[in-house]
Amino acid sequence: MTAPIVNPGSFRDPGSRVFERDGRILRAIWQRSAPAYEQFRDSGLLADLVDRGMLVATKEVDAQSVSIMPAPVYVLEHERLPFVSYPYEWPFALLKRAALFHLDLQLAALDKGFTLSDATAYNVQFIATTPIFIDHLSFRPYVEGEVWAGHRQFCMQFLNPLVLWSKKGISPAPWYRGSLEGISPEDLSQLLGWKDNLSWTILTHVSGQAALQRRAIKADASIAPGKQPKLSKTAFRGILEGLRSYIAKLSSPTKATVWGDYADHNSYAADDALIKRDFIVKMAGQVKPDQLFDIGCNSGDYSVAALEGGAKTVVGFDFDYGALDAATARADKHKLPFLPLWLDAANPSPSQGWAQAERLGFGKRASAQALVALAFVHHIAIGRNVPLDMTIDWLMSLAPEGIIEFPPKSDPMVQRLLSNREDIFPDYTEENFIAAVLSRGQIVEQKHVTEGGRLLIWYRR
Amino acid sequence: MTDRFARMAALFALYTSLSTPAYAYLDPATGSIILQAIVGVVGTWMVYSRLFVAKSRNFLSRVFGKSSASQDAE
Repeated sequence: MTAPIVNPGSFRDPGSRVFERDGRILRAIWQRSAPAYEQFRDSGLLADLVDRGMLVATKEVDAQSVSIMPAPVYVLEHERLPFVSYPYEWPFALLKRAALFHLDLQLAALDKGFTLSDATAYNVQFIATTPIFIDHLSFRPYVEGEVWAGHRQFCMQFLNPLVLWSKKGISPAPWYRGSLEGISPEDLSQLLGWKDNLSWTILTHVSGQAALQRRAIKADASIAPGKQPKLSKTAFRGILEGLRSYIAKLSSPTKATVWGDYADHNSYAADDALIKRDFIVKMAGQVKPDQLFDIGCNSGDYSVAALEGGAKTVVGFDFDYGALDAATARADKHKLPFLPLWLDAANPSPSQGWAQAERLGFGKRASAQALVALAFVHHIAIGRNVPLDMTIDWLMSLAPEGIIEFPPKSDPMVQRLLSNREDIFPDYTEENFIAAVLSRGQIVEQKHVTEGGRLLIWYRR
Repeated sequence: MTDRFARMAALFALYTSLSTPAYAYLDPATGSIILQAIVGVVGTWMVYSRLFVAKSRNFLSRVFGKSSASQDAE
């Protein structure tokens, strides 16, 4: 038995922290936060939200049995999530879903006399494409007349990124990733025109809030404790419902929300796809991974193959938001245990935040037992100038077993990448690909999709 | 109509509060709290004005015997 290790992202609440021990997720609650937890538990809201799938399942364990100092009043054990993702990795549909979910959760809490102490997007996680809340200590009794404590945070972490994305067609991911607290109304308002301000929500929550905030800073005015204006419960509800109805109407700028649109537009013949599919089904059937990564998942054709083969869950990654929208729609439609996320493989999410450990980098969260990477290698080895052996090295580091596809230079997709540039890739050959795999592991099976064409290698490290 | 008037009034109040950007550090929630107070008042006012309109229509329809009017109170 190892000692509990505090989760590096869990430090903001002085009354509670999350620990990890032997793969278990434990939450210590000290005296300061114990009464709020007791009220939340005894009201029945905790159990109700768990039953409705809105809150991670939890049970109380013997506080003495875990060696956490100082001794907590309660220790909760939470169900472990298949994969932790961050808002700057979510496709549009998932960021929007998380925002609506947060508002629904706040409304449900308010019905039972509770409120959320913050509105951080990092407390929302996804199991497949279904959002779930992870912070049981965010709930505290609602005090009649109090303002919405999480309002600004909600705007910065949900509303503003969605407005930037939907109204201006700019993905918030690079900005959000650089600024973990989200996008401030003061910044976003600079990008908006008068037409944007015809929307009541933008006028008030973005431009209005920005103007008031600037004014408060200029006047060096802050609100003294106890002098806060009162917000009636009706008004609070009105704000939440107003935001909900606005966000529900926001649409993705990619417009490709039906995965069928995507499936029809790839360059692969049906026979080729069938061969690849069968190969993946075979591998997934033998490895039976709890989690499989599909690197370059597109709309999820091969993620589905892996699931059919026997993978329990798939996390798919792609660079193309249109493909991710399509993959999300597909996962929703068929209720697949499949989570599509955005990834720039040449620059994956770093470890960052406080002490560079608060939000873990992609590599630190990668715990898949298997991997598929089809139609991927050339994008990195040619599109991004990463040497072939380094590309294979990175891929094979992600999972102990998997399938990697090698499209030769003669492949039309590779030719397209080379069409406007000098070919400075003499090492991009099938022989070197095989050698790179063999230097890091063994080849379980290999298969040419067509004669002299794409090669699939099933590796094991 | 009442909604629009309320929103225009709030718009005016917000725009008169516009000022040049400042970048000092201050309690980041100040703007949020003031805004909630404004939006809250407008929101509550709209909720009650809708209720008032609905109740008036109901009352009038009862007086004048038009029962169908109560259905489209929104």
